[in-house]
Amino acid sequence: MGKAMIHREGAVMILGGGIAGIQAALDMTDLGYYVYLVEKSPAVGGVMAQLDKTFPTNDCSL
Amino acid sequence: MSDNEFSPKILGFLCNWCCYAAADAAGVSRFQYPPNMRTIRVMCTGRVDPSFILKGFLEGADAIFTGG
Amino acid sequence: MITNADFLALEGEAGDYTAKLNIRPRYIDADACTACGLCTQYCPKHHSDSYNEGLSITRPIHIDYAQAVPATYYIDPSSCMFLQHDTCQICVPVCQSHAINFSQKPEARDLKIGAVILSPGFGKIAESTLEKFSYGKHPDVVTAYEYERMTTASGPFLGEIKCFSDGRHPKSMAFIQCVGSRDLGCDNGYCSSVCCMYAIKEALVTKEHDPEVDITIYYMDIRTQGKDFDAARERAENIGIKFVRAKVADVTPWDNHLKLTYSTLDGQHKFDAHDMVVLSVGLESPKDAQKIADITKIDLNKYDFCKTGTFTPLETSKKGIVVAGAFQGPKDIPESATQASGAAALAAVTLKKQRGKGTVLKEYPEELSVTDEDEVRIGVFVCHCGINISSVVDCPDVANEAGGMENVAYYTENLYSCSQDAQEQIKQTIIDKKLNRVVIAACSPRTHEPLFQETLKDAGLNRNLFEMVNIRDQCSWVHANEPEEATQKSKDLVRMAVHKAAHIQPLPEQTVPVTPKALVLGAGVAGMTAALSLADQGFPSIIVEKGDKVGGQMLNLKNTLNGESIAAHLKSLTTKVEKANNIEVMLNSELVETAGFVGNFSSVIATGKTKKKKETTYDHGVVVVATGGHEYRPKMYELGKSKKVCTQQELETKLEGRAKNRAPNSIVMIQCAGSRGDDLGYCSKVCCNHAMKNVLKIKEINPDSQVIVLYRDIRTYGFAEDAYLEARKKGVIFIPYEVDRKPVVSSKGTKVQVDFFDSIMQEDVSMTPDLVALSVGLVPNSTDELSKLLKLPVTANKFFLEAHVKLRPIEMAVEGVYVCGLAHGPKPIDETIVQAQAAAAKAAMPLVNGKVKVDPIVSTVDQEDCIGCGICTSLCPYGAITMVKIEKKRKAFTIAASCKACGICAAHCPTFAISMGGFTNEQLISQIEAFGNKKEKVEA
Repeated sequence: MGKAMIHREGAVMILGGGIAGIQAALDMTDLGYYVYLVEKSPAVGGVMAQLDKTFPTNDCSL
Repeated sequence: MSDNEFSPKILGFLCNWCCYAAADAAGVSRFQYPPNMRTIRVMCTGRVDPSFILKGFLEGADAIFTGG
Repeated sequence: MITNADFLALEGEAGDYTAKLNIRPRYIDADACTACGLCTQYCPKHHSDSYNEGLSITRPIHIDYAQAVPATYYIDPSSCMFLQHDTCQICVPVCQSHAINFSQKPEARDLKIGAVILSPGFGKIAESTLEKFSYGKHPDVVTAYEYERMTTASGPFLGEIKCFSDGRHPKSMAFIQCVGSRDLGCDNGYCSSVCCMYAIKEALVTKEHDPEVDITIYYMDIRTQGKDFDAARERAENIGIKFVRAKVADVTPWDNHLKLTYSTLDGQHKFDAHDMVVLSVGLESPKDAQKIADITKIDLNKYDFCKTGTFTPLETSKKGIVVAGAFQGPKDIPESATQASGAAALAAVTLKKQRGKGTVLKEYPEELSVTDEDEVRIGVFVCHCGINISSVVDCPDVANEAGGMENVAYYTENLYSCSQDAQEQIKQTIIDKKLNRVVIAACSPRTHEPLFQETLKDAGLNRNLFEMVNIRDQCSWVHANEPEEATQKSKDLVRMAVHKAAHIQPLPEQTVPVTPKALVLGAGVAGMTAALSLADQGFPSIIVEKGDKVGGQMLNLKNTLNGESIAAHLKSLTTKVEKANNIEVMLNSELVETAGFVGNFSSVIATGKTKKKKETTYDHGVVVVATGGHEYRPKMYELGKSKKVCTQQELETKLEGRAKNRAPNSIVMIQCAGSRGDDLGYCSKVCCNHAMKNVLKIKEINPDSQVIVLYRDIRTYGFAEDAYLEARKKGVIFIPYEVDRKPVVSSKGTKVQVDFFDSIMQEDVSMTPDLVALSVGLVPNSTDELSKLLKLPVTANKFFLEAHVKLRPIEMAVEGVYVCGLAHGPKPIDETIVQAQAAAAKAAMPLVNGKVKVDPIVSTVDQEDCIGCGICTSLCPYGAITMVKIEKKRKAFTIAASCKACGICAAHCPTFAISMGGFTNEQLISQIEAFGNKKEKVEA
């Protein structure tokens, strides 16, 4: 992207990269907007990434 | 490879979404398993026509694995 | 995506915000890091692994988990020897791709944005709350998060469950519910809504590991109110997991066991010993909730969650800032995902004018034509992946072998095929050597195929002229100790791929234009909200309503639990729908026919009664199903027979009236009337809240009224727990009943008698109240016809079944069809509104795009070979194959946009007339033949 500050119109900032944040980011992208997904920790995924299986079907969560 | 020991040749059909993904995950976790299988990726095991399995046996497979 | 970043400030207003961020350094160049993991192996310092809840040790330089995104390692400065003490730096020369860069500095960044979605998640219960359960004092008391990691096969113990105290396998386990929830002691009066589910899940997983383990769940109410969740509870009970209704006072170490002291409903104190205790800890507001509120100037509720209204469940107090996920209130994954989509719809409305301006379009060179006549020229690239592959597999040997194969025009090796320079090199090679098929032996196509296909496109090749061989994840990594066999396997796999590649044909990138209109079925709160959201995003819709007025189930309700007027909201909603110039409402109408696929539906709508029926044809791109539901009237408890027995809905209407005796002195309410095992197998989610609402109203009108609520589990999940507490404070008596000892209602003349067993006093009670109110369940309005018409699957309870209960809760299996409201499952009004907004977001996606992209891996029918038997049509799970008449003969035809590439049709076609793009019979057969090829060699 380079050093230059790119002015993006129609952008949204999503604070928090857990399941809600990621889903919102994907949806906003599909709706045609530029998304900044801002996450505190080094990787997105939130708590869901820590889960092994999910209720009630015990599907894998990753 | 010792000649006495039976080392089967396995042909595997893996579903892209589950079994193939699981095989990748096994790799990420460095699970070790015997190197006897040769895999073919399909988008779904629904794609596996019975003739593929017969063909596999005809081509000399000792076993066929389908995972999906 | 900006990770490792702190949110510092927000200036401006809706549509024109500036956010200030501080991006902390990773000390690793993300573009160069290949996630090989060598650095972690060499790093000498230990670091507590927070991903595994501190249960294992990692290194300061690490990645949280293999599938992390971005797949870039990072250095935790808190324990790095160099960053703390200026020593070490072992990692720097170890890294073969020179990705480690200690000179990285924090970076300040300003973002110009129009809207903000807050999804910071939730916080964890303070350890001080857990102390009374001996957490921290005894190693065998663990939180449910820790336990989750312990049971995980890829976790620190590879899924083996052991007591920390002495390494034995626990034979007796206890789950304690409501730790840090429904607990005024730690100021968390609310219910965390998810712990019952995860406790049952973890208990079931434990039983899978070891069926002999004795598991007891200590609970106040089991709140499995979600769609089909009760079934999991029953499953747990059936395999022997015990549920004990009790409040656990404390847990004390007792030899190497743990002693639980608890009191049961009848006032008895009991003790029990267990090997391991799992605390079902609740969800708290995120740690930085107050900070976020200060920065964004939004209001928080009294528990520090984001404050929202029942009718505006995703809107914060500030315009242009919306909320999603657990920050709005404790909730599970599907609800978070739904809220996220709903929030996206709201943010999209704020940004409507700028749609598409932020997206960047990439240009590609014109595609070279590759036909059957062209000589097949395959290029094989074998990746070393640093040492990930080459330390096990003899890559030069594999490449040489490939070089000798038929049709291979070029072969080489790369250190990292995925690196920027290798990509450039591959691209140049394709052009220079006139390659028309590319085989790359490297990692998994699931992660890297798109990247390489991009390279092909850059070189002017159709992206499908590509085949990937997985010699890392499924070879070198899993056969680390057998280099010879691994090399042989790699050769075989490459040969199979080369043979397949020879038969690959370019596949056209198809797109189908979209009719940018929606069809909304049902004019209740769900349908109207969805249509309005679509209208706000600029898409017209028609709402088809069976009844003669709009409103649906809202017409039967007066107020929300928080006291907001439902009638007022209905009025404002109706006015907005009427005023919107791109929404048309068709009353007394029904959908009678729908044809087509996502983006191109055509429907016939019939209006009026049978004789004067008028039919209208409407073309649209998407369908939102919001057909709603209604109160179920069970034939039990004298309902309909005695004038003194009514439903909660009828009671609500009565309480809103002016009748003097509308809140009589003695009222008995019976929860789960006809639900959870009687006529309806499920929990209707709303009835407990409905009862609380009426109870509080009664107490407001007539504080002296004696109200007794007979229940099985009170399910006032989330913040509704406050209402439950208030009802108790106001003297309402709550008595649980067992399913095999249900209350009995009988009418004698004008009187009504209720007999029940008082489980608190342990005695039979008989009384003649002035009124009996039944909390009856909700059933969907008929879904039979619609499910046939649109090929939509329904659950056993006749609700529509979503595409994926966790991750795609709004979409249906048929693309372009979305579901919301009671048609999906019983739910309160705020959740219905969220779902409707989410459905609007999902439905808008194909409409925004203007065209639907079709993945080229779809089935195609050879019309000449097709005999029109129709087997494929009946088998296709996605309704993607139809029968058409071509020259008076029945022929199968694939609707490319609906096809999911499963290949069932191709596998079942008796004449092999159907083939799958990228996975043709020819390709797969040659792959199998190549597999056999090797066998001959081995035998020779």
